[in-house]
Amino acid sequence: MWSYVVRRVLYNIPIYLVIVMVVMAMLRINDPVSAYLSKNATEAERALKEAEFGLDQPFLVQYFQMLKSIVTLDFSAKSWYQETNTVGQVIGPSILPSLKITIPALLFSTLIAIVVALIAAANRGRAIDRGLMFIAVVGMSVSFLVFIILGQYFGAFWLTEKTGVDLFAVRYDADRLSGNFAADWVKYFLLPVMISVVVSMGYDTRFYRTVIVEQTNADYIRTAKAKGCSQARVMFIHLLRNAMIPIITRVMITMPFLIVGSLLLEVYFSIPGMGATLLTHMQNKDFAVTQTIVAILAAIFILSNILTDVLYAIVDPRVRLS
Amino acid sequence: MLRRILFGLSVLTLVAAPHAVATAAVQDEKVIPAAMPTDGPRTLDPVRGSTTYDNMACAQVYETLLQVSYHDNQRFEPLLLAEMPKRLDEGKRYRFRLRDDVWFQDDACFPGGKGRKLVTDDVFYSWKRIADPKNGLKNWWLLEDAIVGFDSPENGKAFDYNAPIAGFVKISDTEFEVELTRPVFRFLWVLTMFQTAIVPHEAVAKYGSDFGAHPVGTGPYVLDEWIPKQRLTFERNPNYYATYYPAAELWSEEDREAGLADAAGQRLPIADRLEFAMIIEEQPRYLEFKQGNLAWIELPFTYFGELFSSRTKRMNREARQAGLQYRNVLVLDMIFRAFNMEDPIVGGYTPDKVALRKAIAYAIDHDEFNEVFYEGLCVQYDGPIPPTLDGHPKDHRVEGAPRGPDLAKARALLAEAGYPNGEGLPPIRFFTNSSAINARMLDLLRRQLGEIGVEIDGQMVDFSQLIELTNKKQAPMFSFAWLSDYPDAENNLALFYSKNVSPGSNHWNYNRPEFDALYEQAIVLEPGPERTALYEAMRDMVIADVPMVGSLARNRYYVWQPWLKNARPTPRFWSWFKYLDVDESKR
Repeated sequence: MWSYVVRRVLYNIPIYLVIVMVVMAMLRINDPVSAYLSKNATEAERALKEAEFGLDQPFLVQYFQMLKSIVTLDFSAKSWYQETNTVGQVIGPSILPSLKITIPALLFSTLIAIVVALIAAANRGRAIDRGLMFIAVVGMSVSFLVFIILGQYFGAFWLTEKTGVDLFAVRYDADRLSGNFAADWVKYFLLPVMISVVVSMGYDTRFYRTVIVEQTNADYIRTAKAKGCSQARVMFIHLLRNAMIPIITRVMITMPFLIVGSLLLEVYFSIPGMGATLLTHMQNKDFAVTQTIVAILAAIFILSNILTDVLYAIVDPRVRLS
Repeated sequence: MLRRILFGLSVLTLVAAPHAVATAAVQDEKVIPAAMPTDGPRTLDPVRGSTTYDNMACAQVYETLLQVSYHDNQRFEPLLLAEMPKRLDEGKRYRFRLRDDVWFQDDACFPGGKGRKLVTDDVFYSWKRIADPKNGLKNWWLLEDAIVGFDSPENGKAFDYNAPIAGFVKISDTEFEVELTRPVFRFLWVLTMFQTAIVPHEAVAKYGSDFGAHPVGTGPYVLDEWIPKQRLTFERNPNYYATYYPAAELWSEEDREAGLADAAGQRLPIADRLEFAMIIEEQPRYLEFKQGNLAWIELPFTYFGELFSSRTKRMNREARQAGLQYRNVLVLDMIFRAFNMEDPIVGGYTPDKVALRKAIAYAIDHDEFNEVFYEGLCVQYDGPIPPTLDGHPKDHRVEGAPRGPDLAKARALLAEAGYPNGEGLPPIRFFTNSSAINARMLDLLRRQLGEIGVEIDGQMVDFSQLIELTNKKQAPMFSFAWLSDYPDAENNLALFYSKNVSPGSNHWNYNRPEFDALYEQAIVLEPGPERTALYEAMRDMVIADVPMVGSLARNRYYVWQPWLKNARPTPRFWSWFKYLDVDESKR
């Protein structure tokens, strides 16, 4: 098993090096200094900014400096947009707020989607299956933005104004935190999590149902049923494990996005997470933060790929042999 | 089941209630909650700042020698000065006298943590920082070539703060003179800009590169807390000198009726605390305002219909009954389509070239742009001088200005230019900044010009590319907007001065010696009929040559709660928070 893991890691290192090089090159196609500076910028100012961030150095020198900062986790370069903060100070505090949304959202949506998919698959072709899939398709067809706007309006504004139930806040406000983690999470994060779950439910449920339906025709299911296993045991014990590979794939694909956060949710609910951070720093041409976040994301993506391969091997030993 | 869940969640949130009550109990101070539609300022160091939000934050802590008057945004008045600067040698020199009761806030950077008195050397030091390459030179354009002997070192040399500068003449700790390279009135407007605010050298030395997060100023407030992307709070500065709300007679009749003169003579700042929340999106900002959690907002275009009648542009009955108040302010804006006057096809000053540009101008319907993209809230005007400034045309119109849509005239002029129905005219390359809204604007422009047979080869590029193309004179036609840095048309007319051609800010490369002569004559004059007449002559010259088609100026609507007093919001300067008051009985 360990040799398999080492092989996967070694195989991915050159891929990562190429990704970082390509990303760095692409970010330099349009002069990042001109993009950042205002229209009144002088040549001297441009030259100064280039020198400050080492952009006057040869590309390969910049490339190895970037790799060094990633390997040593040295993110002490100054942000271009928030000049009083380092890149690390910009990125670091943004991770936890994002995870407060993305992890519960992933857990809830995956669990609910699997259960709903199992129910739909077990009742394939019946009214309950059609009804659930109809709801899933409707959910998929409506824009995420619509769910957010309506969710925020009715959940955080209308509910309070019309019923007096002050359950959810329009936006995250560190000043109004009570200090009680659970209560604060409910007030400021549960509504975004619910919106996120509702949105991803449609896609997940349809996908998991398809996977499960494929498995229901397999020989081992027929055998289990013939041996007298209950429907619940067949579905949850026998079928689910064999359907795990596509489920793992789908869950693991979303791993890098746990860190990136949900850009729209964070922006609408003023949650100081990674999505909102990435958006505002990119919009403000913060080359230092953008380059670092993209490099970190590439690393997380590669790591989640490796983790996926390892999980495949655990769930299905045949993967290791191949 | 749903009820049970809601009940359970409500109980969970109620756990927090005692804490919230306790917090409210200690808050009997006057607090102004406001929003920044961004994730916050970039820095609180004036010389490194440039955005509106840097300005909004810095203006609470730092002060400039002059400030835009709250009661009349077209004028400026002394702030750190005891009196208006004295104009000497026909404007070549200015003598300044500082107030002698201004102290920096208490801070660990001073001996014993006690703030010290503001002196002349602080002014020179703060302005020298603008020229110091270590500070990025972001705002050097404000003072470049303005003061005798004041230059930024070249070739990476360090700035010598001890080297004497001929144009800085210290008379005493509270008096000094500044000698200008030429007598430009603009210099005084620059002294109202937050980038020229006065900072103490002790704070810069102590905090070094973190100075931008540790502001130490003379302003009405001191920084309490700054959590990037979340909030920025300020507390009253106990060292703030005795200064008062503008006297009743300074206010206009209309303002007096609105109660703006009621606080006359009250000591500043009136509120104890300012709390800025960073709310990027429009919906949460609007909902927070509706819930009473924000004292005022700049109403987003998309919510205009919620509080205003789109027909009359006046506040609707429901909003009025709720006690909301508003003010609309015309932004010093110039939204335009421009030509490169050196381009072989659309540029030039011969009658056929002018006819071609005029034909295009007559084909463009700015009203349609206004309705489609700005809810009809913009003001269309002829020429380059935004509304409310000296030289702006009466009723926004100049007789004979090529204002569309007049397709018959456009076709006739196109024929006069040698391109009947557009025949023989190659597609005109038009560059604009890439964004969803600009893509739609480009489509509209293409359609409007298509009606007279002029084909547009639209190119969407990054802003940096757009600037590079205009700097290199490679964009025959392009579009962007100019927001005036200060309320003086000189700022806009400088864009047509031939010494500023690309890569300077004269991106249309307009070059007319007659214009230059008038400009050089006007910049040394103080505001008055003589200067206004010169402005109008320059404006009409630009309109006749058509280096640009326009313009539009945005109209901003500021709305505030019934409990906010003395509000007269404006985007032209941001030190007006010190005048705001809160009526707790209405809250």
